[in-house]
Amino acid sequence: MDRTHFPAELADIQATLPDLVAEMETRVPYAAALVSRNAGQRIRVTDREQDVSEMEPRQGIVLTVWTGAAFEEAANSDLQPERTKRLAREFVRSLQVVPSAEVIDPGEPARGHYATSCEIDPNDMTPKQKLDRCRELHAKARGLDPRIVNVQVSYQELHEVKAFANRARQLSQIITRLRMMVVMAVSDGTQIRYDWLGKEGTGGLELLEVTESELESLCHSSVALLTAEKVLPGMCDVIGSPDVSGVIAHEAFGHGVELDMFLKHRARSRQYLGQQIASPLVSILDDPSYGGGHGSYFFDDEGELARPTYIIRDGVFERGISDLGSAHSLRMPRSANGRRESIERKVYARMSNTFFAPGTTPVEAMIESVDQGVYLNKTSSGMEDPKGWGMQVTSHYGEEIRHGKRTGRIFAPIGITGYVPDILKSIVAVGDDFQLSGGTCGKGHKEWVPVSSGGPHLKLRARLG
Amino acid sequence: MLSEIKRQIEQTSGVHDWSLRAISKKSTQHYVIGDRTESRRQVTTERVLAHVLNDHAGANGDGMFRGETLITLLESDRPRLSARLSDAVFMASLSDNPVWSLPGASSYPEVAMTEPEIQTNPHVVAEQLIAQVGEALRDKPGVRLSSAEAFVEEERVEFLNSQGAQGSQVATHVMLEMVLLAAGHGDEMESNIGCERRRARDLDVADLVDRHAQYARDALVATAPTTGTYPVVVSDEALDELLMGGGDSPLVFGSSAQARYQKMTSWQPGQSIFKEAPVGEPFTFFSNALLPYGVRSRAVEDDGLPAQRLLVVKDGILEHLWGPSRYAEYLQLPATGAFGNMEIGGGSQSYDALLSEPGPLYHIVSFSAMSPDPITGDFVGEIRLGYELRSGQRRPVRGGSISGNLLSALAAARWSSETAFLGSYHGPRAAYFPQITVAGA
Repeated sequence: MDRTHFPAELADIQATLPDLVAEMETRVPYAAALVSRNAGQRIRVTDREQDVSEMEPRQGIVLTVWTGAAFEEAANSDLQPERTKRLAREFVRSLQVVPSAEVIDPGEPARGHYATSCEIDPNDMTPKQKLDRCRELHAKARGLDPRIVNVQVSYQELHEVKAFANRARQLSQIITRLRMMVVMAVSDGTQIRYDWLGKEGTGGLELLEVTESELESLCHSSVALLTAEKVLPGMCDVIGSPDVSGVIAHEAFGHGVELDMFLKHRARSRQYLGQQIASPLVSILDDPSYGGGHGSYFFDDEGELARPTYIIRDGVFERGISDLGSAHSLRMPRSANGRRESIERKVYARMSNTFFAPGTTPVEAMIESVDQGVYLNKTSSGMEDPKGWGMQVTSHYGEEIRHGKRTGRIFAPIGITGYVPDILKSIVAVGDDFQLSGGTCGKGHKEWVPVSSGGPHLKLRARLG
Repeated sequence: MLSEIKRQIEQTSGVHDWSLRAISKKSTQHYVIGDRTESRRQVTTERVLAHVLNDHAGANGDGMFRGETLITLLESDRPRLSARLSDAVFMASLSDNPVWSLPGASSYPEVAMTEPEIQTNPHVVAEQLIAQVGEALRDKPGVRLSSAEAFVEEERVEFLNSQGAQGSQVATHVMLEMVLLAAGHGDEMESNIGCERRRARDLDVADLVDRHAQYARDALVATAPTTGTYPVVVSDEALDELLMGGGDSPLVFGSSAQARYQKMTSWQPGQSIFKEAPVGEPFTFFSNALLPYGVRSRAVEDDGLPAQRLLVVKDGILEHLWGPSRYAEYLQLPATGAFGNMEIGGGSQSYDALLSEPGPLYHIVSFSAMSPDPITGDFVGEIRLGYELRSGQRRPVRGGSISGNLLSALAAARWSSETAFLGSYHGPRAAYFPQITVAGA
């Protein structure tokens, strides 16, 4: 597909959106329409299988209205303009409109088309060339150690096309999200262990370069996991890598400040607005406009233009992130965080790229300052608890630190739990480095959207188990 | 559209085998915050999944290979079907896999998967579910509804392939997610739950609200557990989560023919799945795709095989690997289809008996998240709510975590005689693990 221009085959439906909105607003006080289409490729090469397929395309239109009492939506995968017009007519006719003084603000007028910029456009490479690239990477990784029992290389290329309209805005965007993953499984004859290496972001193939030293490091960590021990449970000084820092930001102060959680009385953080909640060294942001982030976009699914939000600044909780409905109900400022998994799901307040801002401490100095502790390297999962303000992050593995040095002794897996304010206040050093890692994030156990999280290394105290 | 795609795919050069799955879905969604409706949604989607297989000579002249690709065809693809299918052939021609064959015509089992009320009145069913939550909360002073979501859906699937297999199935689905808030002691805490079933009538909303209202109240006074190694009982939804891990369970992965073919599992038919000698009750489980109203039940597998109930592990010994026709053929095993619902027989002791020892013992009823590593079986899960049982006293606990290895834990497990049906799990209500690491205060 043309990666920068709005697709011609969707131009007809896009052109009808302002009229659809106007027609619906003859009956309801606010209406909006979102056309969405995701399409892409998936390539997988393992020791014994290869696969080149489409990412399952999803497309459709969502019609959103405010009836005066609630938001109602109709969504359909059929994008033929005539059928969509009929859907809109029948939908608004079926609604019970309630007289209300509440006015939904459509935002300042805005028009525009946006597209992800790429240095190396994935469309300039054929599927065969991409498959060959995966095969080469597989072959390189496979030959690194005789204990390797399988290597899986996977490549994902997703093009997300969206067009939004309400009475003030007509916006469209094409986001190109790429992801390369190398999973290496090793065995000593009695057990199988594995580690992975991921590259991802919005942009071009330049994001996915995997160096030989990165592959060697992956092999080293995979093999080291064969001798991993259980960590001694209890409170411990830890240095979190940017990946671990990011998941702490995401689980501790990302989900807990999604404003729909305020509306549902599920967020303990609400009591601390404007208060010191973390070490003064800590600032946390959510920024969908961050260049190249896996969670980046130009506008959200409700037509709000992307910009950074300071959630915590110098340890003080400034504000949450919002969708339209929660910001409207709470009379709080909007941010561009109204996101939906697909047309099949509603919009919620969701994170995009969430991270700790970098500090000033060199990473080596942080490690040298730990007498006994653990270097947490990589996360495999996390879960929020915005009401109880507990936090769970699972680190795939960690390495012992003794007398200021990493010893090579590996622990796996490691659960990191704790009370969010305790963890955030325990941060005594913030690294001068910065890195984002991409993935997908659910709300509870569903509603998956692409995000990234990260930041610098952090030195803190947490309960390991 | 399906017949048009079939005609077209049969005429497409380079398609050596194919299967088509037409899926249409209607979803009615109702969201409430407190006692007011937040949003209502009506969603209709239709798509056809086309699985295209192409046979070709290897680049080095080393025999014939089979490549496959899966594409999704939407209504908007109708004018360009020919081009879409040609692209699919091209993609399939790129990958070199050993040849396998698709299953032929079969008769499919009758599997109970629908609730007529959902098919005729989905809005009413969704509203009734939410109303039942409100009704159940009436006699729970100090506990209120934060939010709830009810999804009520019907999915129709038609299947056909190039080897003559042809079948169809209709299934309904409900999902209820709710968050309850309890107030007291100058604080407020929550308990949340998400449940899936094929029928609304299989959701005992009153019982769910009863249990979770109590969990929310107990969370108000819960404190951290004590660090150490203890017997741990895991029950109900928490046990389902520990055993099934959202579908990526070590039990499911370890017994997968694809994982075996990929050398990613060391499990072998006829051998114990445990590294240590089992000292608990004999552990047996089935993959049951025929379980009436099971969320993972079906009549027709993705490749056209008839769905079945399969004995996977008996008394700790792997009896059968599960897998679609492709991996079964590679490993020269019977094809069984994908993993179905987890079915485990009841144990020898009552639920109460498992919790009756003097302790200290921890009883976990809710994890923040629990997904054991599918390859290693290692797990760590934060305790969202549990109870410490010590000398006849029961103390709510939260925070901290339990950790261990699922297979080591199962080798020593004892099971409750009472069983529960939890959507995709039908098995004991509780499991007792004699030695689990608890990280707490």
